[in-house]
Amino acid sequence: MAKFILRRLLLMLLTMLLVSIAVFLITEAAPGNVARNVLGIHITPEQEASFLKQQGLDKPFYVRYLNWLIGSDWRAERRIGMPVKQITTEDGFREWWAVDADGSLIRWDMEGEDLIANRRQPDGSVTKTVDNDRWRVEDPSREMELLTQYRAEIAQDDQLDDADREAILRETDQIIAILDREHPSEEALEAALSEPEAALEAMIDPDALRKQTTLQQLASRVGGKNRVLQALVIHQQLSDIPAAQLGRSDIESMARQLRGAAQDLQEADPRLADQLEQTAQSLDDGDMAAALATLEDVAPRLDELTGSLGTFIYALEAEDYRQAVVALRRLSDPSQGTLEAADQTLIADLLAAMGNQLEDDLPELGESLTQAADDLQSEDAETARQSLAAAANRLDETASTIVRSQRAQGARVARTFWGVDTGNRAVKWQKGTGEVVWRLVPGSGWLASIGGPAEYVPLQKGLVRGDPGLSLRTGRPVADLLFRRLRNSLVLAGIAFVIVMPLALLLGLIAGLNQGKTIDRVLSVGGMMFSVTPQFVTGIFLILIFAFWLDLVPGATVFGEKAPWERPRMLILPVATLTLIELGYVLRITRASMAEVMREPYIRTAFLKGLPYRRIVFKHAVRNALMAPITVIMLHVNWLLGGIVVVEVIFGYPGLGSYILDSTLFKDFNAIEGGAMVLVAVAVTTQLLADILYTFLNPRIRFT
Amino acid sequence: MAGTEQTMPKTSAQPSGLARLWEGISILFESKIAVVGLLIILFWIFVAIFAPLLTPYTPTEQDYTAQNEAPSARHPLGTDSLGRDIWTRLIYGARVVLVVLPVTETFWLPLGTALWGVLLGLLVGSTLGLMGGYLGGWVDEVVMRLLDAMMAFPVVLLYMIIIAAVGASATNVVLAIAIVGTPGIARLVRSLTLDIRTRDYVRAAEVRGESPWYIMFVEILPNARGPIIVDAMLRVGYAIFAMGTLGFLGLGLPPPSPDWGSMVAKGRQYILSGSPWAALWPSVAIGSLVVGLNLFADGLSEESTRYQ
Repeated sequence: MAKFILRRLLLMLLTMLLVSIAVFLITEAAPGNVARNVLGIHITPEQEASFLKQQGLDKPFYVRYLNWLIGSDWRAERRIGMPVKQITTEDGFREWWAVDADGSLIRWDMEGEDLIANRRQPDGSVTKTVDNDRWRVEDPSREMELLTQYRAEIAQDDQLDDADREAILRETDQIIAILDREHPSEEALEAALSEPEAALEAMIDPDALRKQTTLQQLASRVGGKNRVLQALVIHQQLSDIPAAQLGRSDIESMARQLRGAAQDLQEADPRLADQLEQTAQSLDDGDMAAALATLEDVAPRLDELTGSLGTFIYALEAEDYRQAVVALRRLSDPSQGTLEAADQTLIADLLAAMGNQLEDDLPELGESLTQAADDLQSEDAETARQSLAAAANRLDETASTIVRSQRAQGARVARTFWGVDTGNRAVKWQKGTGEVVWRLVPGSGWLASIGGPAEYVPLQKGLVRGDPGLSLRTGRPVADLLFRRLRNSLVLAGIAFVIVMPLALLLGLIAGLNQGKTIDRVLSVGGMMFSVTPQFVTGIFLILIFAFWLDLVPGATVFGEKAPWERPRMLILPVATLTLIELGYVLRITRASMAEVMREPYIRTAFLKGLPYRRIVFKHAVRNALMAPITVIMLHVNWLLGGIVVVEVIFGYPGLGSYILDSTLFKDFNAIEGGAMVLVAVAVTTQLLADILYTFLNPRIRFT
Repeated sequence: MAGTEQTMPKTSAQPSGLARLWEGISILFESKIAVVGLLIILFWIFVAIFAPLLTPYTPTEQDYTAQNEAPSARHPLGTDSLGRDIWTRLIYGARVVLVVLPVTETFWLPLGTALWGVLLGLLVGSTLGLMGGYLGGWVDEVVMRLLDAMMAFPVVLLYMIIIAAVGASATNVVLAIAIVGTPGIARLVRSLTLDIRTRDYVRAAEVRGESPWYIMFVEILPNARGPIIVDAMLRVGYAIFAMGTLGFLGLGLPPPSPDWGSMVAKGRQYILSGSPWAALWPSVAIGSLVVGLNLFADGLSEESTRYQ
């Protein structure tokens, strides 16, 4: 027996391994990507790449699979050159730290260009010290190669002013020459580099990044709020993103926005509004090609109405400042007539919104835009033109500063350091390059920072050491939520099981004993109807009858963090649905089994011996008749799990099934794998239980 | 077939084909349950085929002045949240299930999505089962271990992952149904093959020097058709069940296709706000069709065993 169980457990592990590989490969092959799913389709390619990198998703798939299976910490240790360790804080958070030579825990973060060491004290507090001595030039010849490439890019860069370009090129050439030479030591290299790097430093405006972010936020906030501009953005998105990658909710929100734009334009251009309405209709119908064609038609007119402010906003978002300046200048140029062709109220609104947005961070540009908006409102086109021209000049200046700082930053030699960051990742920090890292900070949106990490290895122990990783969707450990969800599902299934088993076995026995009579007919046809009806249909009927028409019990479940048994009324309908589905199935099997047993010769013998009916049924028949149903039910667990998923979705019950469904829709790999492993373990364990139970019920079988 | 009958004297004693068909039909009418089931199935096939004649609307026609309406003379079963006629969507939905398979927007295959799923599953499953059962050895071992692993996989998870991987469309629903159905069919065919391969006519074919593929598909498969057909009938019911569930979970046919499962999923949001019709009718439709199929299969098998 022990050997048999052991072999089955080994088989289970093998199945889990195969399933995990299969799930991984299929998820890998699936279209769509988790960054878009988690962050929405409005993220820029840079933000997407940055997100993927931070989650370690830019690595080849076998590396990611191995990280998930056996962990990444041992690999990270080699990179960092220090052991790393996972601790659990007093608040229950799991944190990764590096262990310093003296045994203290240490991890790092960046403040500006400074590396800050966070040392954890025995009492749990953290002291911060500047730790810039750890920076190293990793590989001078590689740096030289990169810089040579960069030099070529700068020479072509059309966003840079000529004077700035020359200055940067001069310093770059010097640095390349220094890197090319042999240096006796790292200190000597640092000393030689200090002069040209100081020159580059002088060209950097410390506020450049803030200004850049402000302009980009201006684009997304003002552009995102204005429904007419949004229509142009939708046009762009529809032509850029393949229709298959758009989710239903994306398309629905697009249609909603187009309807909004149509409303806004009803006054200015009724025909255009009609066309937009029609596009929204096509989107609702899922006819993307028709929607795109209509948008293609209306785009030029939309552009005209908004005075090309759409182009302006795109250009800002794409950091193409030259084009943004050109767009603004065109609006201010009397010979173009752009201002006259546009819907001036709309433009005034937009300009005012932009001015308002820029008030704090770029006051001068903001003021000119607000001025232009005021002029337009007082129908003074001439002054408005002047204000717009002034705004264009201010933007030009700001843009030069931003671009110069950015490019100068990129020309410095990168210093690197591998360490553990405060986000539980092993990261390679890089100082001195223009590498921009985008982080989604809850509440304040996307924040860009320069000099962030260039490479990430998310630290995890791996499944074999009991760590299923972090959910990509929530950023929380999969294990936390997974087991709470599993508990909820087990509560649901358990209650249903306790109700179903005695009831179904009893009814099945009754039907089997009365084979062919009315009671058997009613029970078996009724049972069949419930067992073949899809779970969601049964669920909907129960909601309609008991929650809608009779209004007896709640038709949905809301639990939040609470345990399901704290609101038992909400459990009634989900349990009833599961019960009905399982009842029919078990009943039918019990009935068939009972009917078969009653035809056996030993039962006939018992009758002929003159034993009382009651005794024959309970002593001889029942035990043999129950053998089949009990094992079949155990094998039925796979099916039951499917039923639970559907029931959970119908009632919004926070169980394992809905968790896996949501994760699948998000392509949240770690969560899907974690859930799949639990499901396989449950399925295989119940099958094992069925086999063991069978040996107790039927002593003729021996497992060896 | 002549050769088969000589080796099986029992069948030669049976009446001719037409008489056997008549016997079958009369058995069917003996069972009230089977007749009820058949009537339900025929009803859905009828409305599916003649759908355009039975309604003045199209399934995607929206009426913003009539959203979430109760049944009325204009809309016999009411309207959904976009003002579409529910009756129209139901009968066009029946088409997709029973009569046509929309491969692309313009290219439609005859036979419904559910039927294609079962047929494809039969094709793959039978081939695997025949190979495992007839060729034996390592082929059998590999096929069976593969199928075991697939069966250890919870069905719904398998559906979700397959659809997530290939995207939601009618063709992919067919694929998912086929993949999930394959292990069961393969097991059945394998066990039948193990039995049939010992028969004399298989021996004879082997002696004649026929290739293994000829023996598998011409000698063994036709002789195993009885149980396979009964199994397939039940599987059609299950395929419709699966289509509904996939649609309900948001993994079925993409909108605005009239898909029963997704109609329920969409209508569900409006039940507690007082318009149950959009969720009720597709539920009734899918429930009745699946129950009808099972009543039919059940009644038939019960009556035929009684006559044996």
